[in-house]
Amino acid sequence: MALLEASGIGKVYPGGVVANDGVNLVIEPGEVHAVVGENGAGKSTLMKILFGIEQPNAGTLTLDGRPVSFANPREAIDAGIGMVFQHFSLVPSFSVYENVVLGSEPRAGIRLDRDKAIAEVRALSDKFRLKVDPLPPVRTLPVGQQQRVEILKALYRNARILILDEPTAVLAPQEVQELFVAIRSLVAQGKTVIFIAHKLPEVLEISNTITVMRQGKTVGQVKTREVTEKSLAAMMVGREVALRVERKPTDQTQRVAAVSGLRVVNALGTEVVAGLDLNVHSGEVVGLVGVEGNGQAETLEAIAGLRSIVAGTITIANENATPMSVLERRGLGLASIPEDRIAQGLSTGSTVAENLVATRLNDKRYVRNGLLDLKAIRANAVRLIEQFSIRVGGPNYTVGTLSGGNMQKVVVARELSEQPKLLLVNQPTRGVDLGATQFIWRTITDARDAGAAVLLSSADLGELLALSDRLLVLYRGKIVAAFINTPDLTPETLGTYMLGLSTQTADEMKAALK
Amino acid sequence: MMELFVTVFSAAFFVTIIRTTTPLLLATLGGLIADLSGALNVALEGMMLIGCLTAVIVSVYAPWYVAVAAGLGAGALLGLIMAFFAYRMKADIILVGFAINILATGGTVFALALATGGDKGTSINLQSKAIPAVDLGFLSGIPVVGPTLTALLSGHSVLSWLAAFLVFAVWYFLYRTPWGLWLRGVGEYPAAPEAAGIPVNRIRTLSLVVSGALAGLGGAQLAMFNYVGFTRDMTAGRGFIALGAVLLGARHPVGALLAALLFGAFEALAVVMPGLFNDIPAELIRMIPFVVTIAALVLFSIRAQRALALRGVK
Amino acid sequence: MSNIPAIDRSSRWKTVRREVGRAVGALVIALVVTFVIVLFTSKAPFDAFGQLLTAPASKPRTIGLWLDDVAKLTVTGLAFSLVFQARQFAMGVQGQVYIGALAATYVVLTPLGATWAGIPLGIAAAMLAGAIYGFLPGIAKAKLGANEIVSSLMLNYIAIEACNFLVRVSLPKPQAGVLTTNEFPDTAVYPQLIKFDFLNITRLDLGLVFALVAVLVVWFALYRTSWGLKLRLVGHNARFAEYAGIKSTFIMVSAMTASGALGGLLGSMFVQGQGYGKLTVLFEGGLAFEGILVAIVARSRPLAVPIVALFYGYLRQGAQLMNIRTDVPAEVIGVVTAIIILLVSSSFSLNFVTRLFRRNPAAVAAPATAGGATK
Repeated sequence: MALLEASGIGKVYPGGVVANDGVNLVIEPGEVHAVVGENGAGKSTLMKILFGIEQPNAGTLTLDGRPVSFANPREAIDAGIGMVFQHFSLVPSFSVYENVVLGSEPRAGIRLDRDKAIAEVRALSDKFRLKVDPLPPVRTLPVGQQQRVEILKALYRNARILILDEPTAVLAPQEVQELFVAIRSLVAQGKTVIFIAHKLPEVLEISNTITVMRQGKTVGQVKTREVTEKSLAAMMVGREVALRVERKPTDQTQRVAAVSGLRVVNALGTEVVAGLDLNVHSGEVVGLVGVEGNGQAETLEAIAGLRSIVAGTITIANENATPMSVLERRGLGLASIPEDRIAQGLSTGSTVAENLVATRLNDKRYVRNGLLDLKAIRANAVRLIEQFSIRVGGPNYTVGTLSGGNMQKVVVARELSEQPKLLLVNQPTRGVDLGATQFIWRTITDARDAGAAVLLSSADLGELLALSDRLLVLYRGKIVAAFINTPDLTPETLGTYMLGLSTQTADEMKAALK
Repeated sequence: MMELFVTVFSAAFFVTIIRTTTPLLLATLGGLIADLSGALNVALEGMMLIGCLTAVIVSVYAPWYVAVAAGLGAGALLGLIMAFFAYRMKADIILVGFAINILATGGTVFALALATGGDKGTSINLQSKAIPAVDLGFLSGIPVVGPTLTALLSGHSVLSWLAAFLVFAVWYFLYRTPWGLWLRGVGEYPAAPEAAGIPVNRIRTLSLVVSGALAGLGGAQLAMFNYVGFTRDMTAGRGFIALGAVLLGARHPVGALLAALLFGAFEALAVVMPGLFNDIPAELIRMIPFVVTIAALVLFSIRAQRALALRGVK
Repeated sequence: MSNIPAIDRSSRWKTVRREVGRAVGALVIALVVTFVIVLFTSKAPFDAFGQLLTAPASKPRTIGLWLDDVAKLTVTGLAFSLVFQARQFAMGVQGQVYIGALAATYVVLTPLGATWAGIPLGIAAAMLAGAIYGFLPGIAKAKLGANEIVSSLMLNYIAIEACNFLVRVSLPKPQAGVLTTNEFPDTAVYPQLIKFDFLNITRLDLGLVFALVAVLVVWFALYRTSWGLKLRLVGHNARFAEYAGIKSTFIMVSAMTASGALGGLLGSMFVQGQGYGKLTVLFEGGLAFEGILVAIVARSRPLAVPIVALFYGYLRQGAQLMNIRTDVPAEVIGVVTAIIILLVSSSFSLNFVTRLFRRNPAAVAAPATAGGATK
């Protein structure tokens, strides 16, 4: 008998978005069940329904053969379901044990029984091979350990079924292996794991059964040993796709940006970029490789002028940009596509036209004597809406009324409306579906082919390997390895450097540092 | 100058400080709880003011403790209204807070005029009661320190003792009980308690209710001990000062106590100074708490900035 | 692409219709609540309510009082709109009014006040003083991170006490003991706008013209200058503004300073207006804070501010007149104000009301929650 079964699940969000439509899922006890699909296929919605965050408009859930419905996560937790979100739900200033017991604390009278809480967390972490110290505040822990805290939270609540939402997205390859060890240990001790993913090799490695979703529907359920990566991909997208970008040979001799001796300190006083030197040339994409939080984002922000630096110089187009403001740097030909494009790259309450000129408010074409040239701003918007085929009623519509994909296009249109000399890109395809990924990759490559120097940071090694000419591996704010991208460069090779397990010598790096 | 010196170090002045501090401290604790739950309670002022009037009017007809409870209840009710509009109706909490302040300013005068039969200034023609002072005269029996102890500890409002206990109670609640953990979790990163199945909105609502109750209690102390009777706008910015005291007290109950004592001391100074220095204008003396609040806020901010700078962050 | 402007316009109208609907709905609810209160507290509730709703328009004199309020509410509404659009919760308009009034008084009580320069110099002094007073919490926030709500509120109290003090001690008075200054020279008092034999609207003075000019200036600054666009971008999303290279601290401080200048102007309108023509302690009577209501109902849009002020000023004046002519205190208007702010700033919508009455939630589609973002 199935442990957990969802049948005919339908979910329509207010506003008419159909997220789930007749979804079926059958989970057997003691298995690792992967749910795969493109972004937007409805995986997350389904999991939210299983965990009681969302309520379905149609369909039934049964647990141990009995029909159940969860009005909120609490009820799901009580029924033995635990969930680890992609974005961790941890209170940063709380200690590990406080985070684990939050909501189900051991009590002594009205007091929180601290000693008991710590002991229980220790016991759990030993039992399931999830090593983590219960005492430090979680904000001081690396991502991999924070994830373990999340898993411990679910286990502490006696979860029999553990839902992991894209758990590997934030991990380095070696950390992924550690996670898989823990998952196997969980299954060996009688737990059941639901694993949401879109990286197919990982799915094939860890799961027993796979449910494939596409456009809000389940396409089918298969045994892992009966499928290949190719057949699975075909099920996911409904057609065979190969993500590949053609890159033109370019002249890469002209240095556009140079960073030397860069040091950056974060708000907690820790040094996050520790003496970094790098050059980017026109017509090349330089990929910054590293586990998140090793200084990639800070480096990009420092070059863009968004973060104050402790030491170092930044040269853009042969001018010393170190003392320059954001706008002055943009004046030198800098463009940047931020990671969180909607939260940082847009003002959703302003109109499309306003968003499209927001970075050019010192440009004579749009602003003269402090006055806006509304005609020019509008003409610019009309031109870019057409050129980037943004679907919007008109330039005076607020960006907030657009769909997510079209919002992304507004950012890309603004940053690439004029050929940039230096383009900074952070996590270009995180949370983006395959179609949009293709569009964004194409856009970045076009900018490169047209002579832009591109500095790219991404958590997705596949993306870095597909787009970059050179790769620099960052570990604790330093470059520990540099490679010229060749077909035989593998994620595993990069992984050993990403985790700081080994470091190249200056000579080894020399060729790829230019 | 000598007189000021003598006054400041007298037992009577200490008693005055406790008196002026109590309403502020209660409101500050209220502000602290709201703040830690993630809400800036700018309505403390209005909640106190309505607490004042409710307590005064009820005390005409009922015993003092019923009146105090009524003041507390009025504050709690306002907290509930605030929570409803801020969390259920998704209004900006600061605007909701100011709506309550506007309601309080107009509404108390309106209600006062009704209760007094037309007087819009004070409740002087109402026979309102006072909160009793706790007499610890028996301490005089203790040899040597007895009389001093009596002078220092006797004659405080019941609510002053309660407020002192509440500092401890709030600290214990926040840092030793599971519910305190929930509340701080909700304020710092609501997604975490939400995922743990903690009813986030209920915690937020209850925090505002408690916050309002404490402010209302502060109002009762103000109108039934510090002054007996209601005067138009009698809170005179104390709720806003309490808001400053929360920030100055580094969002901690003990810090809140110290900050409230600081502001209370300056208010006490403002109380005793006119008697000592006829030539210092009353207006300037009344300005003191506000100037001190700004100065404290600025100094605190400078310190916070410097602490960051020391760690190398610009 | 030719149909784009038409769609643009229709979407704008939809927004306007929705906002007006919300405001009217809130007003009706607030009035009903008030009526219930009056019903329970007044001996002649219908008379009182009738006064509230009809008195302001009854005579030229009351129309003058009403329009005078409208002018003042417009200016305070604009001052709040400016800071709200930059998403700052500076609450210092009240203090700026007192400081501005003090500055104007000091200028016009010099011999200069008795010349043609009395009005312009008084206004200039008031706006400058108000601007400085608005700048202070702004710079404290920008440089130190000091919470602007608390600091601006404290500055309000300080300004009121300073005004009390200076009127009592420093400024020339007709006789000892009164808390009001000498009357300003006629040249320093705003002239009455409509003064004919057949129609004499007292109280209505040049202030109304200044208020309308201020509306146009603020509208132009917000929607036609790059400063205004930057200010709105900072208000919508400060992170994005910073990313786009906009100096958000400069925008923040300048918005609070400009708002302060408007507060100062309002101070001048009070003391140099027909209503006073002198400086009296506590002259402002809480009007400054009612700008919050005006700004919120107008969604911080300068062109909507005078329209909202027109309606709200009517109610406000109605309450004053009701106070004089019946047994209901004027302060009942505080209830109306609070309810309107609560409803308009929340996700309240007419759908919500219909749903409440229909008691059939499924029949009504989820209310659209647009933050009123189109201009």
